[in-house]
Amino acid sequence: MDTAAARDTSPSPSVISASAVSKSWGDHQVFRDFTAEIPKGITGLLGSNGAGKTTLFGMLLGLHHRSGGQLQVLGQDPNTAGPELRQRIGYSPEHHDLPTDVAAQDLVRHIAEIHGLPKREATTRSSDALWLVGLGEERARPIGTMSTGQRQRVKLAQAIAHGPSLVILDEPTDGLDPVQRDDMLELIRDIGTKYDIDVVLSSHLLEEVERIADNVVIIAGGTTAAAGPIQELRVGGGGAVVVLDDQHEQVAQGLRARGIEVNIDRSRLLIGGDEPIESIAGAVRDVVAEADASLRRFAPIQQSLEDLFLAEVHGE
Amino acid sequence: MTDSTSAEIYDRGYRVYDGPRTGTGTAVKSVFFASVQRALGLRRKFRYKIAPVLTIMFAYIPALIFVGLAIVIPGDLSGETSDYSGYFGITGIAVMLFTAFVAPELMINDRRTGMFGLYLSSPLEKLHYLVAKVGALVSVMSLVTVLPSLFFVLGYILVGNGPDGFGNTLEVIAKIIFTGLIVAMFYSLIGMAISTVTNRQGVASAIIIMFFLTSAFLTNSLVFEADAPDWILALSFVELPVDVAARIFDEAQNQLDGVSTSVSMGTLVGVLAVSLATIWFGYQRIEVTK
Repeated sequence: MDTAAARDTSPSPSVISASAVSKSWGDHQVFRDFTAEIPKGITGLLGSNGAGKTTLFGMLLGLHHRSGGQLQVLGQDPNTAGPELRQRIGYSPEHHDLPTDVAAQDLVRHIAEIHGLPKREATTRSSDALWLVGLGEERARPIGTMSTGQRQRVKLAQAIAHGPSLVILDEPTDGLDPVQRDDMLELIRDIGTKYDIDVVLSSHLLEEVERIADNVVIIAGGTTAAAGPIQELRVGGGGAVVVLDDQHEQVAQGLRARGIEVNIDRSRLLIGGDEPIESIAGAVRDVVAEADASLRRFAPIQQSLEDLFLAEVHGE
Repeated sequence: MTDSTSAEIYDRGYRVYDGPRTGTGTAVKSVFFASVQRALGLRRKFRYKIAPVLTIMFAYIPALIFVGLAIVIPGDLSGETSDYSGYFGITGIAVMLFTAFVAPELMINDRRTGMFGLYLSSPLEKLHYLVAKVGALVSVMSLVTVLPSLFFVLGYILVGNGPDGFGNTLEVIAKIIFTGLIVAMFYSLIGMAISTVTNRQGVASAIIIMFFLTSAFLTNSLVFEADAPDWILALSFVELPVDVAARIFDEAQNQLDGVSTSVSMGTLVGVLAVSLATIWFGYQRIEVTK
């Protein structure tokens, strides 16, 4: 037996580190220059259909060898450390096809065993994982008798039962109704926060990623369109919002006089266009002081993830 | 009565696992046992047990009849006691049906249900997976190749119609195990190869049965109706394993007429090699998480 207690021995601070990764399927180039540093926490992977999210998961698992570039997952190269690395990764595929005539607990235990857990541990932990995802009472039921929501939970349970350091979830909310989706997102959030398991999930629902992820990676055109903490990316567009109690017109005129673009939105001034907040902060301070206005709030303009995605992927 | 001072609520719940992990060997073993269970319908509903149980019973019935007859009319069957290879011919249909049922179940079901992808996202590589599957299928097939023949011999031994002497008995038992495993591997690999090229279990089962029956019909027609060379009979895959068994037991009366030992053995090895190549290259082409 080899010990897998190497949870914190990774030489890289990033969970995943990709540099100029390329990958082709025959003549079709899926990635040409994918570069991203994915830190600990929950990371959302966004991209249009066919952008290569699932292919990227395959490369992270060492199932597909990249054509070029450097890739490190949990401090190891998936091309060379595939089996050893996969022992520490939990993977939940996008499809809902699981053996219909197998009990949930049997499946989860079996997957835990092949990830290297001794039989007794696998049995205990499969039960624990199923309780965690809310299927404790249903664990003896054949998967074929379960709803889509329950199957998604079984997939999540099999991904975490063996105690992975990293969990990769491919569209974990696909096919769920809004209530089930909320529950699933809460579960994923718990797994990422309470149990210190790093999570990378793909979703085509930006609002989901925005709700639970700390970081985001946007793939477009075979390369990294954007990557980083969501909060930073959302303010990356520049500009600031100024909320005043009074003197709106006077402050707006003062800012325009200094060459700063200003749009009045009820009690707010949206200023600066694409300029970073640091370059307009001094002007705002001076104008507000000159107008003797009451400043309630001055903050960078935050884009929604959808705005960011559309801007990066479609240039809108 | 429980000591109230030592009582505690024991609820560990889900937690981080930093304990030891077993290697790939244990993973292969786990897939092996899961596959054996699946083939036999274990831990599944009753209806999944019917086909394997009936087929296995079918393979033991002739042995029961022979041994029963040897008990009722001792001596009359003494001439048959040396014809051990013939038993592989008697159970041929059962073995073929069992192959048609079990091989697609073990191979295709994993691909259709996404289990193959889950396996590959674990420490298992395709080679490990296939080793576990071949091992499981050959083991399960041994239930209808090795064990019925052993049962047949042991029955004869018990009623006094077995081989003469301890040494001969051991030799016959060893030959039965060896031959049974070869026959199990022959049927298993053909079944697996056919199950590699289609994703429909019913279609695979039908092709497996047709493959064996058609090969026997065509080769016999060619040799006996169209005067084709005798060696073509070695391509009758119903008769080939029985012929190989007869040659291992040196029982000339069961061998294919006009087919030399080298052709017979060479064909068997060739079939095994082609089957293995079909399985290996077939699975190399399968991509998961593409």
